[in-house]
Amino acid sequence: MSAEYVLQMKDITKRYGENTVLEDVSLSVRPGEIHALLGENGAGKSTLMNILFGMPVIHATGGFSGTVSLDGAETHIQSPHDAMEKGIGMVHQEFMLLPGFTITENIKLNREITKPNLVSRVFGKNLETLNMKAMAKDARTALDSVGMSIDEYTLVQGLPVGYMQFVEIAREIDKKGIKLLVFDEPTAVLTESEAEQLIRVMKQIAATGIAIIFITHRLDEVIAAADSVTILRDGKLVATRDAKKTNTLELAELMIGRKGESMVTAPDRDKPHGDKVALEINHLCVDMPGEEVRDVSLKVYEGEIFGIGGLAGQGKIGIPSGIMGLYPAAGEVNVFGAAHELGNPRKSLENGLAMVSEDRRGVGLLLEQSIEDNIVFNAMQIKGEYLMGIRLLFSLRDSRKIRKVANQMIKDLDIRCTSALQHAGTLSGGNQQKVCIARALLMRPKLLFVSEPTRGIDIGAKKLVLETLVRLNREQGMTIVMVSSELMELRSICGRIAIVSEGRTVDVLKATDTDVNFGLAMSGIRPNQEGGSVNG
Amino acid sequence: MGNQKARAIASVLIVVLALVLIVTGVVGMSRRATATGEEILTNMRTRAVLIATGEGAVESYVAIAADQAREAAQAAGASMSEIREAVAAAEEEARNNSSANLLDYATADTTGLDAALSTLRAALMDYRAEEAAAEAAYVEQMQATAAPEETEVDTSQLTSEADLEAMLAEEEEVEVDMSGFVATERMNELRAIADEKYAGVCTELMALYDTLDQAALDTLEGTIFDIVSQSGDDFAREYDRYNAAGGAAALSNRFGAWVIRYGDDLVYVGVGLILAALVVFFYPTLVKKLGVPRMIIGLFFVLLCVVALIYDLSLSGLMSNTLVRMGMNSILVLAMAPGIQCGIGLNLGLPIGIVGGLIGGLLAIEWQIGGWLGFVFACLVGMAISAVSGALYGMLLNRLKGSEMSVTTYVGFSIVSLMCIAWLVLPFNSLELRWPLGTGLRNTIVMSDATSFGHILDNFLSFSIGGFTVPTGLLLFMALCCYLVWLFMRSRTGVAMMAVGNNRRFAEATGVNVDRMRIIGTMISTMLGAVGILVYSQSYGFMQLYTAPRQMGFVAASAILIGGATTSRCKISHVLIGTFLFQGVLTLGMPVANALVPQSTISETMRILISNGIILYALTKSGGEQRA
Repeated sequence: MSAEYVLQMKDITKRYGENTVLEDVSLSVRPGEIHALLGENGAGKSTLMNILFGMPVIHATGGFSGTVSLDGAETHIQSPHDAMEKGIGMVHQEFMLLPGFTITENIKLNREITKPNLVSRVFGKNLETLNMKAMAKDARTALDSVGMSIDEYTLVQGLPVGYMQFVEIAREIDKKGIKLLVFDEPTAVLTESEAEQLIRVMKQIAATGIAIIFITHRLDEVIAAADSVTILRDGKLVATRDAKKTNTLELAELMIGRKGESMVTAPDRDKPHGDKVALEINHLCVDMPGEEVRDVSLKVYEGEIFGIGGLAGQGKIGIPSGIMGLYPAAGEVNVFGAAHELGNPRKSLENGLAMVSEDRRGVGLLLEQSIEDNIVFNAMQIKGEYLMGIRLLFSLRDSRKIRKVANQMIKDLDIRCTSALQHAGTLSGGNQQKVCIARALLMRPKLLFVSEPTRGIDIGAKKLVLETLVRLNREQGMTIVMVSSELMELRSICGRIAIVSEGRTVDVLKATDTDVNFGLAMSGIRPNQEGGSVNG
Repeated sequence: MGNQKARAIASVLIVVLALVLIVTGVVGMSRRATATGEEILTNMRTRAVLIATGEGAVESYVAIAADQAREAAQAAGASMSEIREAVAAAEEEARNNSSANLLDYATADTTGLDAALSTLRAALMDYRAEEAAAEAAYVEQMQATAAPEETEVDTSQLTSEADLEAMLAEEEEVEVDMSGFVATERMNELRAIADEKYAGVCTELMALYDTLDQAALDTLEGTIFDIVSQSGDDFAREYDRYNAAGGAAALSNRFGAWVIRYGDDLVYVGVGLILAALVVFFYPTLVKKLGVPRMIIGLFFVLLCVVALIYDLSLSGLMSNTLVRMGMNSILVLAMAPGIQCGIGLNLGLPIGIVGGLIGGLLAIEWQIGGWLGFVFACLVGMAISAVSGALYGMLLNRLKGSEMSVTTYVGFSIVSLMCIAWLVLPFNSLELRWPLGTGLRNTIVMSDATSFGHILDNFLSFSIGGFTVPTGLLLFMALCCYLVWLFMRSRTGVAMMAVGNNRRFAEATGVNVDRMRIIGTMISTMLGAVGILVYSQSYGFMQLYTAPRQMGFVAASAILIGGATTSRCKISHVLIGTFLFQGVLTLGMPVANALVPQSTISETMRILISNGIILYALTKSGGEQRA
C-alpha cells in the first residue's frame, strides 16, 4: 500500500454511439476508506463500475477514454476475471450464489483447495480431491470476520436474504489479496437491523486496509458509513465531499440539482385541477416482481397531470400496472367515484382507463404486426370498432376505416414510418412510443396512465411525446397520471408529484418544491420531518 | 460496396458463360435437321451396322474354321478330346485373325451402303408408324369391348409410402393383352418393302465382307432393323443407339457431334446458370425477402428441374404430380397455421386431428356412403370428433405453456400408438375395412373411385394440357380452405388470436382471454387436420391406419417452415409456398435421384433429411426472436 490511492480513475469518458453517458468523471479511493458513490438512476454509477470491472459490454461498444490506476500504477482491466486477479471484488445486488451448495462450497467456488490423489496424478490437476477441512476452515474465518455465527456447512438454499448478502461478502473477503470491494446497493434488500450490521461489517473490513466503494441512494446510510462521497449526475461528476463535513440536505440537493432548462413547459392555469376526484387509491398493494407496491394511497383530481416519481425498483411502475390489472393487486381504488375492480384488464379498459406501458416491446406492442393493427387493436377488441359485417357473429376488420384512422394518427403524432403497414418492431423507440399512445387515444380514455413515456427515446421524440401529453390535458381535459424516473420531466409538466420509495408514498410534492425536498423524498425521507425516514 | 462489385462481376461472368452455352446449344440443336446432322447420323449408322454385321461375319468365319478343323481331326483319327481341343484352337485362331483383319473401317468405301441403309430406314419408318397406329387402334378396341376388371390389390404387404408410390405408378398404365394382335395388311405390305430394301443392304454388305453368306445375313435382319430404326426416333435417341453400338468411332468431329446431340441440355444448363447469376446479383435482396432456407430450397428445386430435363424425364408430368401432391398436402400444412398464430407453435400433435378424420372416412365406407355425400359426411364427422379432442388437447396445452413443442410431439406419438390398439378393436364390419381373417382393420384401405370417394376432388373438373394434368377440384378446395382461414384471421376473434400468438403479455394487458384463444386456435388446427387427411386420402386413393399418421405432423411442420413461417408467425402465403416447394422437391427428387443412382432409396433418405433438417433449423431460430 505504498501509493496514496488504491484506485484512481481519471477523466473517464464513455459514449454509447452518440450518447455520452460519462463525461470526465474522476474517482479516487484511499486504502481502508469507505467511499460512497451517489447518484440517481442513469447518473452513470453502473457504467463507471462496468468500466472498473472491464465488463465485455464496455469493450464491445468501443471502450472508453481516461485512465485507471491501481496502487498508483496504470492498468488495463480486460475482463471481470482480470479484475478479480488484480484484487477488485464485487458484492452483487442480486445474489450470485448456488442454492444447492453449502456456504463453504459457495465461498470457495472455483477457488477450491485441493489435494492430489491417485487419479489426479495420472490425469492432471482437474481431478484432485477437495480438501473440505481446509476449505471449511477458510470459510469459518471469512464468516467470523463478517460477524456470522452460522454453521459453514449449511446449504445456501433457504437462508434468509440478509444471510445470503453476508455469505456473498464473506466470499469476496476470502479472496486473497483483495484490495478493493464494491458494494452495489447492498442494503436494498436488508432489514434495518441487518443494514446496521452490514455497515458495522463494512467498517471492520475497511479497518483491515481494504477499500470499499459503497453504491447506494440512501442518504442517511452514506452519512453513517462513508468516509467520503462522490456524487454523479447525468454522467458528470458533481462533487466529492468529506462525509463528516456534509449532511443529507446538501447531498440531496447535489444529487437532484436543476438540470438546465426544462424542455417542455406546460402553460399555467388559474386553477390547477377540478374539484372532482378522478382516481382515489387507498392502501394499494401490487405484486409486481421488482416493482412491488406495499402501501400507496393517493388522490388524483380531474383535469390534472399527476406525476409519480421515485427511483427504479421502488414500486412506482407497479401502481398503474396494478390498477390496470396486469399484476395481482389488493386495496381499494375508486375511479370517478365508482369502485374499480382490480385484476381485470378488460374491465379497466371498458371503464375508460388506458395505459401506455413502460415495457413497449414486452407489453406495449405487437412487434411483428403492422402499425395500423397495433393502433386499432384495443378499440377493436374492447369497443368493437373498426369492424364490418354482422356484429359478434361474423365481423371482419374494416381495412379502409383502419387505414384512415391509422394515417390520421400517424399525421397527428408525427410517427415516422414508411407506411401504416410497417411492422412496429422495426420502428425506433420514440415512434414505437407514439404508436402506443395512439392506441391508448383511440380508446378515448377518461384517465390515461403513462408509464416511463420517455425511456429509451431520443431527445426530439421526448419533447414531442411530452408536448402531446400536455396538449391532450389542456385541450381535451384528459386526466393524466404520468410515472417517470426522470424527475425533471415530471416537474416540467406535472402539477403535483408523488414520490414513491420502497413501495410506499413518501410525500406528494408540488412541482415547484425545492431540490432538497425532492432529493430527500427520493431516498425515503419525508422532507417536513427532517432527519428521520418514514419507513425507518 | 466491394462486395457488391464482386457479386456484379461474378454474375456477369456466369451470364456470359450461360449465354455461350445457350448459343452453342441452340446452334447445335438447329443443325440436327441440316446436312451436318444427317451426315453424322449416316456415318454413325453405317458404322454401327458394319460393326454388328462384322460380328456376324466373324462368327460365320469362325464356324467354317471350326468345321474344317473337326473334319481334319476326324480324318486323322484323333480321340474325342483331341478333336475338341483342335476345334477350340482353330476357333480361337480364326477369331483372332478375322477380328483384326476383317475390315478396315476407316478406308472401306461405304457410299453404297450409306445409300442403301438410308432407303431401308425410310421404309422401316413407314412400317413402324403403321405398326404404332395399328396397335393403338387395337388397344382402344380391346378397352372398349372388355370393361376394365377391378384389379384386386393385396395391400397387406405394402407398408412404406415408396411401395404404394410404385404401385400407383403401375396402376396408371392400363395393361392390355397384346397376344391377340394380328398384323394388318398394310403392315405386311410395308414390311415387304422393307425386306426388299434389306436385300439391297445385303448386297452392299456382302461386297464388303466376303465371308458373309445370305443365311448369316437373314439371321442378322432383326438386329440391323433394330439398329437402323425404332419407333419414336428422334436425333438424340438415334445418336444414343448408334453410340451404344459403337458408331461414334466413325465421327471425324466428335465434339461437334456431341454439341449437336446435347444441344438441348446445354440450353437447359445455360438457363439454369442465368437463374444462378440472377441469384448471385440480387443475393442480399433475395435473402432479405425470402430468407436463407427458402432460397436454398428454391434453388434446389430449380436444379432438380434442370437435372430432370437433362435426363429427359417428363417435366410436365412431374409438375402435374407436384401440383397434385401440393393439393393433397396443403390442408394438412394449413392446419399448422392456426396453431402458430394462437401461440402454441408448431402443432406436432396433428395426428389427433388426423385420427378424427380417419374415423370419419372409415364410417363413410362402413355405411357405404360414396361420392360427394361421403366426402362431406366424412369431413363433418371428422371435424366433430376433432373439435372435441382439439378442445381437450388445447386445455392440456394451456396447462403446459412454454413447453408446447415437446408436449405436442409426445401427444402426437401417444395418440398414434393409442389408436393402433383402437384400430384393432373398433367394431367395424365392412370387409373393405377388416382383415379377411381375424379381427381389426387393415393397414391400408383402398378408397375406390366407384363406391367410395377416392379421387373425388382430383377428378372434379380436371383437365389436361399436353401431359400436364390440372386437378381443378383439389386446387379449388385448397383455395377455399385457405380463403376461409384467411377470412377468420381478419375477424375480431382471429385478430385477438394472432395477438395472443404474437405477444401473450400484450394480449393479457388488453383483456383478451388468452386461454380461450389458444383453445380456439388448437381446435381449428385439429379440425383442419381432420379435413386434411381426408383430402390426402382421397387423392392418394388409400387410407393409411396404424403408424402412418405419425410422421405427418413433422412433414406438415417442415413444409410451413420452408414456406417462411416462424414458430410464432405465419401467413397463408407461407402455407402455399412451403407446400409447393417441399412437395416439389420430393416429387422431382425421387425420379431424379433414381436416374442419378439407379435402384437406390436415396430419395426416401433425402425426404427424411430435408424434413427433419428444416424443423431443426426452425427450432434454432425460434429462440432468438428478439430483434434489435
